[in-house]
Amino acid sequence: MEKTNFNQKTTHEKGRADWLRDVDAKPKTRIVWGTILVLAVLPFIISAPLAAEILIWGIFGLGFNLLLGYTGVLSFGHAAYFGLGAYCCGLALRYWHVSLWVALLLGVVASVLLACFIGALAIRRRGVYFAMISLAFGQMLYFLALSPLKHITRGEDGLTHIPVIHLFSFSLNKPLPLYYFVFVIMSGLLYLTFRILHSPFGKLLQAYRENEERARACGFNTTLVKFFSLVLSAFYAGLAGALNTIYLGYVPLTTLFWLTSGTMVMMTILGGKGTFLGPLVGVGVFLFLQNTISLFTPRWELFVGTIFVFIILLFPGGIMGTLREKYAGYQMSKLKKRSTLS
Amino acid sequence: MYLRTEKVSKHFGGLKAVDEVDFHLRQGQLKSIIGPNGAGKTTLFNLIAGVYPPTSGKVFFRDKEITHLSLHETSRLGITKTYQITHIFPSLTVFENVRIAAQSRVTSFNFWRSTHSLREVNERTLEILEQVELVEKRSWLASTLSHGERRYLEIGIALATRPEVLLLDEPTAGMSCAETNLCAELIQKLNKNLQLTIVLVEHDMTVVMGISDEVLVLNEGKVLAEGTPQQVSDNEEVQRVYLGER
Amino acid sequence: MIFDVPWNVIVLQIFFGLALGSIYVLLASGLSIIYGLLDVVNFAHGTFAMLGAYAVFLAVSMADSFLVGLLSAIVIVGLIGGVTEYFLLKPLYGKDPLLPLLLTFGLSVAIPDLIKIIFGLIGKPVNYPEALSGATVVGPLILSNYRLFIIFFTLAIMISLWLFLKKSDLGMIIRASTRDSLMVQVLGVNVSRIWTIGFAIGIGLAALAGAISVPMMAATPDMGVDMTMVAFVVTVVGGLGSLGGAIVGGLFIGLVVAMTSFIAGEYATVSMYFCMAVILLIRPRGLFGEIGRE
Repeated sequence: MEKTNFNQKTTHEKGRADWLRDVDAKPKTRIVWGTILVLAVLPFIISAPLAAEILIWGIFGLGFNLLLGYTGVLSFGHAAYFGLGAYCCGLALRYWHVSLWVALLLGVVASVLLACFIGALAIRRRGVYFAMISLAFGQMLYFLALSPLKHITRGEDGLTHIPVIHLFSFSLNKPLPLYYFVFVIMSGLLYLTFRILHSPFGKLLQAYRENEERARACGFNTTLVKFFSLVLSAFYAGLAGALNTIYLGYVPLTTLFWLTSGTMVMMTILGGKGTFLGPLVGVGVFLFLQNTISLFTPRWELFVGTIFVFIILLFPGGIMGTLREKYAGYQMSKLKKRSTLS
Repeated sequence: MYLRTEKVSKHFGGLKAVDEVDFHLRQGQLKSIIGPNGAGKTTLFNLIAGVYPPTSGKVFFRDKEITHLSLHETSRLGITKTYQITHIFPSLTVFENVRIAAQSRVTSFNFWRSTHSLREVNERTLEILEQVELVEKRSWLASTLSHGERRYLEIGIALATRPEVLLLDEPTAGMSCAETNLCAELIQKLNKNLQLTIVLVEHDMTVVMGISDEVLVLNEGKVLAEGTPQQVSDNEEVQRVYLGER
Repeated sequence: MIFDVPWNVIVLQIFFGLALGSIYVLLASGLSIIYGLLDVVNFAHGTFAMLGAYAVFLAVSMADSFLVGLLSAIVIVGLIGGVTEYFLLKPLYGKDPLLPLLLTFGLSVAIPDLIKIIFGLIGKPVNYPEALSGATVVGPLILSNYRLFIIFFTLAIMISLWLFLKKSDLGMIIRASTRDSLMVQVLGVNVSRIWTIGFAIGIGLAALAGAISVPMMAATPDMGVDMTMVAFVVTVVGGLGSLGGAIVGGLFIGLVVAMTSFIAGEYATVSMYFCMAVILLIRPRGLFGEIGRE
């Protein structure tokens, strides 16, 4: 790279710098700091247990959104990664008496390996076909845990008697200490996700979503892109599952159930797929709705399902997505006005 | 011979889309492929670019065989193709559309570094946008561009991958007369100033006759004639096939 | 005797497998028609099967007739399907292809809960219809009449379906509307209506599957999920969009599940997913699928 003498920049180069500023400003991390700030005080705004749930599912959602929102790939069996992470962490804690960090690591590694396996089998399958296959694999894991592997997973009862973890003399099965433990992890993940999205890889994910064939014509191995995206999302899911085990102190079989996968899909779409805050917003709204409706009736699925149907019909961009569209529309009309005036 | 095919064929079921075609291209040439609809022009492009493998025959680039390389592999070697129907990234900005292509030669899976720091890539993207005259609309979403502008963007994306050989599939499709002339000028500029070897599939005869060094005529998957624009337009068989065309 | 198992027991398992498979065939063929015609993967397919089961329950408790139950399953649930397509799916055509899948998913979450409100959480059993109860004895084999009914009934339905699609005017239009609906529109056929009818037919088949399985398993609100899963697995094995694949795949999976149920009961459900994984490895497009569809 040539060094430019700043005092003698040609008008041409100066124009270039201006142009670049328009389209490729340095990414502003204030959205990350702002979110972290809000999350820091969340347990004091809403109940601590709800906040903890939101945070854990939020981690799940952050990764899932990378796959669904940014790469454009729908997986209906992500509970497999969440549940496997949960079970491995629980098993390690209960039978091998490992430390907290080793247990978390095991959960994550297990999920990532599973994603590599499923990816190797199914990654080349397109769109809806991939969704169906991922769902079937998720179900396979569920039924394996339910019956044949009952001696390991304890089947329907779930894995219980997991020792309580203590960190700095705080018990992590209490909502508030757990919340701040997960909060630290979440903050790190928020920053990581932000960097990923603004990196060459992050842009590549979006190009894949917009037009896979063209991305391939540019020279990218799009199969690998899809594969990495899947594995990355499994990383987040496995971590969330493991954290869930730490929090609950046990592993329910439902962590592998299809409704868990489906719930994640609904949360992501509700919040707005393909937006940075979408998953968190979606998780928050969904869990809040679920909690509130459950006070009146156990039939919260009816309401949430119906709301979801309407979202798909009227606002497929979700909450953040619709907001972003409005904002982008406003920006475009400003740009158009500027170019017609000049 | 820079790029050539040797008796290359592509059968789709019973249909012989391309039938034992020998194609020759010298470095720096601007060569056009013409022929009636269904003559196999796009199929030939796809065979060269590696969208699908030929049923029989071979493809050579710089004397190395590339017959069974896939689309992204040939792109890496320097053969880039554009699409008959515009294939862009709709909800990304014009700038992003070209930048992602420019990025392909530098990095793929780096997930930590911000694209903002890829100064060379970004500057090169602007250069290309200048060449295809889309710099003013760099922040616009690609989906908001007019048809002609999209065709230019299509070319811009292709240029960003630093091609050695550019396969342009009907770049002036759907353009007005004025736009077509400008596009033809652009293609000529790319060929002469950037020393880009270009292969053109075109229906517009004035473009073909005006800027090509050589013309290949395909009909029903087979080579009908090959030569300079003048030779081809004087060829009686070609005139027969194109009866009614200008 | 094979592996210390008397051969008549093996034949009996095969018989069970065919009966089970027949239900799978009905499910998968409905899904296939909907996918082939509309490019929609109907996540709520099992949910509509469940509605068919409840339709039979209602008909039997009100009119004491299983036959009325079957008919009402097809007609009423089919109508519900048509209405669903018209109001909920049609607005999504031409947009993101994942949207219809997601919408049907939403339905698969909401509708079972609605059924729980109306009918309660406990399953509703339905007795075997008089005429079809009991068993037929063939040599050392005791074949339950109801299962015989399932097999032959499904055969009859499939043959009628084949005749309808291949020979009737409406059937031919439906087949033509899948690939080149532009052509059909030019010829002056209201494609939109064809799509609604096609969807209703697919749903009707699902409802039928639910209806005929009711005497064997009782109508429960959550029975739909497993049925959707089976339909998916059979479709992957048989080939997406292929009716022949739905038939062969359905029978095959039925046999696999029955055999596994007999040999190692715990693995019965897992076995079908295993088959799916194997097919994905060695022949991703399915037994009868076309390349490019996957």
